[in-house]
Amino acid sequence: MHRKQLLNVGDAQILTCSGEEITVAAIQATPVKYDMEVVRWFTIAAAIYACVGTLIGVYVASELAWPFLNFDLEWITFGRLRPLHTNAVIFAFGGCALMATGFYIVQRTGSTALWSNKLAWATFIGWNLIIVSAVVTLPLGWTSGKEYAELEWPIDIAIAVVWLMYGFNYIMTIGIRKTSHIYVSNWFTMGMIVMITYLHVVNSMAIPVSMTNSFSIYSGVQDAMIQWWWGHNAVGFYLTGGFLAIMYYFVPKQAGKPVFSYRLSVLHFWALSFGYVWLGAHHLQYTALPDWTGSLGAAVSLAMIIPSWGGAMNGMMTLSGAWDKLRTDYILRFLVVALAFYAMSTFEGPVMSIKTVNALSHYTDWTVGHVHSGALGWMAMVAYGAMYHMIKKLWGVEKMYSESLVNVHFWLATIGTVVYVVAMWVSGIMQGLMWRDYDEYGTLTYTFVESVSAMHPYYAMRAIGGLIFNIGTWIALYNIVMTVRTASAARSANAVPANA
Amino acid sequence: MDAQAMTTNDWLGVFFLLVAAVGMVATYVMVFRPSNKERFESQAAMALDDEDPIKLGEKR
Repeated sequence: MHRKQLLNVGDAQILTCSGEEITVAAIQATPVKYDMEVVRWFTIAAAIYACVGTLIGVYVASELAWPFLNFDLEWITFGRLRPLHTNAVIFAFGGCALMATGFYIVQRTGSTALWSNKLAWATFIGWNLIIVSAVVTLPLGWTSGKEYAELEWPIDIAIAVVWLMYGFNYIMTIGIRKTSHIYVSNWFTMGMIVMITYLHVVNSMAIPVSMTNSFSIYSGVQDAMIQWWWGHNAVGFYLTGGFLAIMYYFVPKQAGKPVFSYRLSVLHFWALSFGYVWLGAHHLQYTALPDWTGSLGAAVSLAMIIPSWGGAMNGMMTLSGAWDKLRTDYILRFLVVALAFYAMSTFEGPVMSIKTVNALSHYTDWTVGHVHSGALGWMAMVAYGAMYHMIKKLWGVEKMYSESLVNVHFWLATIGTVVYVVAMWVSGIMQGLMWRDYDEYGTLTYTFVESVSAMHPYYAMRAIGGLIFNIGTWIALYNIVMTVRTASAARSANAVPANA
Repeated sequence: MDAQAMTTNDWLGVFFLLVAAVGMVATYVMVFRPSNKERFESQAAMALDDEDPIKLGEKR
């Protein structure tokens, strides 16, 4: 009877009421067994993909500065490697980081193992096979031509299947949790799972003509609208919502302080969920799209500053009374600087969506700079903060192999991001001003080629900024591998089984 | 506003925009209602409650 009751926390609480406190206390003291091996693999995979993804980014950035680098080989031209770079950093690095942290947080906050460890492993294998297929198909030029959704239809179907496996396992794990409340991080992840399923399926609808070619079922302006409905919501629910789940769990953990305002975190979640779906049209100002849709997108974008900054401040204020930790805790530095970039990006984006600003910024490198302040400054920094935190817990070590190298990585990541973003700001604004400048006869002052030539120093600077960031990722990988090896060696020496 | 010119899609768009707007307002009311403060804030330390060392599960 006791054995049966132990399996259910609700019953355990009844037991307490009936006077069997000792038994219940003993049960509650029993550590929960988690399924963390798959989390370990996702974490290591994320660290590897960060190196490779940003390295490809450095190469394509260098091709723009020094075009001879394509060596007249079609497979390594900018047009083919650029989608490989974006897929690698967003879906390989970002995806593995999200799945690692997602499976980690849902188990820890629910005091339960995964609903299905086998399904989690199938998700890991499936996701990595998709990444391999992207590495093969994109350089070959097999692409649907949709930004951030370039992979062809057979891979799109595989993405939907694997993503649903991840989502189903996650939600079922929520269902078997031993805690009464569902922590806010889990809400952000579930929001991401639901919305990305919906967005990916609708955006990828296509008529196949062969295994490597298909045509979107949408045409003209509807195709553009669907594309950016997906494009901006991938930013909103995946690169923002998913990584906010990381922030709301790992910032309190690393700071050792509760969330500054839990109410604000709830508001943050619902406001993003209600608001983000309307923003996509701000990517299509001054196009064939009805004018009001762009205005609506810009208006809601501006409204989103309130919850976004509320969330950023919430994360920052969680450190109240613990600011001194920033002097010595390098992992916390990653998380706090990520919040600073989150606040900056979520202000810059709405400003860029205003029509008058958009008239200058759109189609220029300013947009590229904005995206990278979010991707490098927010997404990558918060992911690395979480990964360092998890690695110590997952391998049961007090410290990373080298805390100094964590600090070196932090500064390389910060400096690399700033160099990259500043280069693109200057380049983008200069581009916009050159393109719109005309003389007293109404003739354009500069040819397009002249504007390209003027960009060269900034393109070189961008490549250097990216290289600095990329060097940091290799240092992180070395530090992570050495931490794992050191932990494994110590465990072997103590003759403790690997899965004890 | 020319209601006669509104298509089904236009009306659906208006409907969902209003649902989102009302939902947003309802969220603000729910979150900032003083009587709900204790209920929400009692969960603020939830992330800190799982300090037990990680014990990996059986290989299944």
